[in-house]
Amino acid sequence: MKRSLKWTLAASMLAALAMFVAACGSSNKSSGGSSTAVQTQQTVPATAKQGGKLTYLAAGDVDYVDPGQTYYTFGYMVLYATNRTLYSFKPDDSVNPVPDLATGKPEISADNKTITVHIKPGVKFSPPVNREVTSKDIKYAFERSFTKQVPSGYAGTYFGSIVGAPAKPNTGNYKPISGIQTPDDHTIVFKLKTAEAPMVSQALVMPITAPVPKEYAQKFDQKSPSTYDSHVVFTGPYMIKNDSTGKLVGRTPGKTIDIVRNPNWSKSTDYRPAYLDEVVIEEGNADLTVASRRVLNGTASLCCDAGSPPAPVLKQAVSRNKDQLIFVPSGGTRYIAFNTKVKPFDNLNVRKAIIAGMDRNALRLTRGGAILGDVASGWIPPGIPGFEEAGGLKQNTDLDYLAKPQGDPAVAAKYMNLAAKQGVPVQNGKYAGTQKLLTIATNADPGKKTAEVAQGQLQNLGFKLNFRIVPQDTLYTKFCGVPKANVAICPNVGWFKDFADPQSMLDATFNGNNILQQGNVNWPQLNDPAINAAMKKASIVPVGKARNEAWAKINHMIAEQAPAVPWIWDKTALVASKDVQGVANGYYTTHDLSFTSMK
Amino acid sequence: MIPFIIRRLIWMVALLLIISFLTFVIFYTLPSADPALLRAGKQPTPELVATIRQQLGLDKPFYVQYVKYLDRLVFHFDFGYSYQNNVSVKSQIFDRLPATGALALGGMLVWLLVGIPIGILAALKHGRWPDKLAMGAALVAISAPVYWLGLVSLYLFSDELGKFPLFKGQGAYPSSGNIFTNPGAVIPALILPCLVLAASFAAVYARFMRGNLIEVMSEDYVRTARAKGLRERRVVLRHGVRSAITPIVTILGLDLGILLGGAILTESVFNIPGVGRLAFDSIQKSDLPTVQGTVLMGAFFIILLNLVVDVIYAFLDPRVRY
Repeated sequence: MKRSLKWTLAASMLAALAMFVAACGSSNKSSGGSSTAVQTQQTVPATAKQGGKLTYLAAGDVDYVDPGQTYYTFGYMVLYATNRTLYSFKPDDSVNPVPDLATGKPEISADNKTITVHIKPGVKFSPPVNREVTSKDIKYAFERSFTKQVPSGYAGTYFGSIVGAPAKPNTGNYKPISGIQTPDDHTIVFKLKTAEAPMVSQALVMPITAPVPKEYAQKFDQKSPSTYDSHVVFTGPYMIKNDSTGKLVGRTPGKTIDIVRNPNWSKSTDYRPAYLDEVVIEEGNADLTVASRRVLNGTASLCCDAGSPPAPVLKQAVSRNKDQLIFVPSGGTRYIAFNTKVKPFDNLNVRKAIIAGMDRNALRLTRGGAILGDVASGWIPPGIPGFEEAGGLKQNTDLDYLAKPQGDPAVAAKYMNLAAKQGVPVQNGKYAGTQKLLTIATNADPGKKTAEVAQGQLQNLGFKLNFRIVPQDTLYTKFCGVPKANVAICPNVGWFKDFADPQSMLDATFNGNNILQQGNVNWPQLNDPAINAAMKKASIVPVGKARNEAWAKINHMIAEQAPAVPWIWDKTALVASKDVQGVANGYYTTHDLSFTSMK
Repeated sequence: MIPFIIRRLIWMVALLLIISFLTFVIFYTLPSADPALLRAGKQPTPELVATIRQQLGLDKPFYVQYVKYLDRLVFHFDFGYSYQNNVSVKSQIFDRLPATGALALGGMLVWLLVGIPIGILAALKHGRWPDKLAMGAALVAISAPVYWLGLVSLYLFSDELGKFPLFKGQGAYPSSGNIFTNPGAVIPALILPCLVLAASFAAVYARFMRGNLIEVMSEDYVRTARAKGLRERRVVLRHGVRSAITPIVTILGLDLGILLGGAILTESVFNIPGVGRLAFDSIQKSDLPTVQGTVLMGAFFIILLNLVVDVIYAFLDPRVRY
């Protein structure tokens, strides 16, 4: 099971890398068979005003500041403004990375087992380190991320093939990795056990590639967990305010993060314009209505890390403050998952009947309606290669139960009657079973509203629910992500891109070989041998139309198994005050602080 | 008196131990999120989850975790390390206490200054329109939930969103610093939250004061005082209010203790980074050490202020002896 996950991830990385290489080596951006770069609706201004201080209203805190550990959107927003990775994404292109610390594209050996990256001279660490970044700092950044003190969420998955990397990442203490070599201060070489250089190269955009100075960080990394998180030094245009020892005095967890200019940053080495002088992240703004209204009415502020403003605020803003909004495709699908291992959802016709009976438009309205996304009919969202090949916004609508976004009671009754012939209790075209189906929903809006609408629609189809609401984190870690919890319906699940590849959207979520006993994201527990085999085959198809078509076909095969009701490919609405030129980054789908400026 | 205080202090320690144990049990019994999984990313490997579980000490049996916690708490005054914020819980709580203290004390000042005089006035005008008006207003204030009142006040009176921008709004406190370092900025930022926090308390205190005073004013000794020819003002203040206010001291101690443990709703609505909001955030993130720390801190204040009230009672009421 684990091997399969690694294999499929590796293959998807391979595919994504091919796009990267194509992008670095060619001006033809449509190498993937279709132009799939996610364009934010906010284009990057050619010039902008220099200076100014912004307040960012956030609900919560970043997960980590430490580049070895951060793995969530909000953390990325801070990381990519304060640190430089080997490669990164400009705001308006989330598919094709550009060299950041690197001088050019990665050099890959003919046997696909060696990657060489040259790094720029003249990039310096922020105080108190103050010295030039060398390749050894990147080597150490990798090595520390394999230790138990720095439990990286992806080091083993994406970089486990490096020679000398621990077989069980994040279980032991620090040790050098022989396969990461630094022949000189500006060259780093990755030696791989297997011919996976293309995919490993693609992952060089990840935060783990941000340099960490060993002589400074090692004392923090000896503690478990590492305390480097509160002593990070930076290479980006900005830094979190620190004292002379390097302690991040500008960050009070759960309260504020004070981001100021990095005095050691040199504009000549960077593509970022870095217009602003200071950004203060004010945390605790959990009420999105108040926070977004404050930004819309106020000055010098941005919002929100916790999602789009509530529908009424958004509706008003669209008519009155349109130039203060940015809509960023989130690169994901939200859906209602049925547990295919639980009766009556083990019956295909019952699942089809539910999909047919669901008013997906009503579900979408709970998040704000058409402005916040298209009604989904599959699992390859806009902006991901394979979307067009799958049929675009009409994907899977050849299946009668997915044909009408507003639902089709006649089709629902048809499938319910077919289920009746297979022994499912049905009366008058509705389910007549008496057992209460455990349904776990989130306790916060808009997800709670979505779940309530779904609950009503399921009851109309005759289902009796044991409807429980829990915090979103509990939903995933104790119920929907734990097969033994035996949850029948999870109305609030969704999957969003790590990078732009159709495999990354479908493999973890619908491959039966990826069902985990905890942290499971194949929520329907779909385990269809034909789909699993098709995924294995498609994972090694090179990037291009053939790959897109292969995954589009799998997308259709999944829809034929009706494991869930896809209902929105959503966009995130970001808000800026009227005196701010907000720019969003399509890769991490929130504001890009290095490109945002005052008007 | 001294043996009484010592006895109560011993009980206080016992109670805190029981509370800490109950919090632990509740955390393990209720289906809260798994802290290790929360920190392990989107598709965690079992090894990564195991490492994080070990780091957080969650791989040990429940009783071992609890004993270790007690050991750190009792012998080192160490509340542990926050799962969520990667800092010591003690530093988080002490960092946030000034905000909670300023809010609670400011609120208390407002509700005493508003509630007690209104209660006295209503009692003295018992059954007449000032009484009816005051008690009607009190009913409204008691019935209005704090979070609703807070949001309405923000939309009406805050300088950021208000129709009548009279007071500093939600962003004022976070940008103003600490009550000790920057009182000039913090105090204006706390006016609206204190008014909102005080509204229902003032109403309760006014009703309580009114009821007590009406009862006291019909006592024989009050009639005697009047018969002695004392001025009405002196009768009311020296003989009536002094007696009627004694039970209020009891509830004041309890209320202040509860608020010092964190005014969760007010702090959340006005984004005041106090102990209450810390507790709320940590519950949401299944951050047990911080939940424990904030619960213990709240319990400590409630028990301590109860003790203080009991001691003060002895001075206010000569009949009380320990």
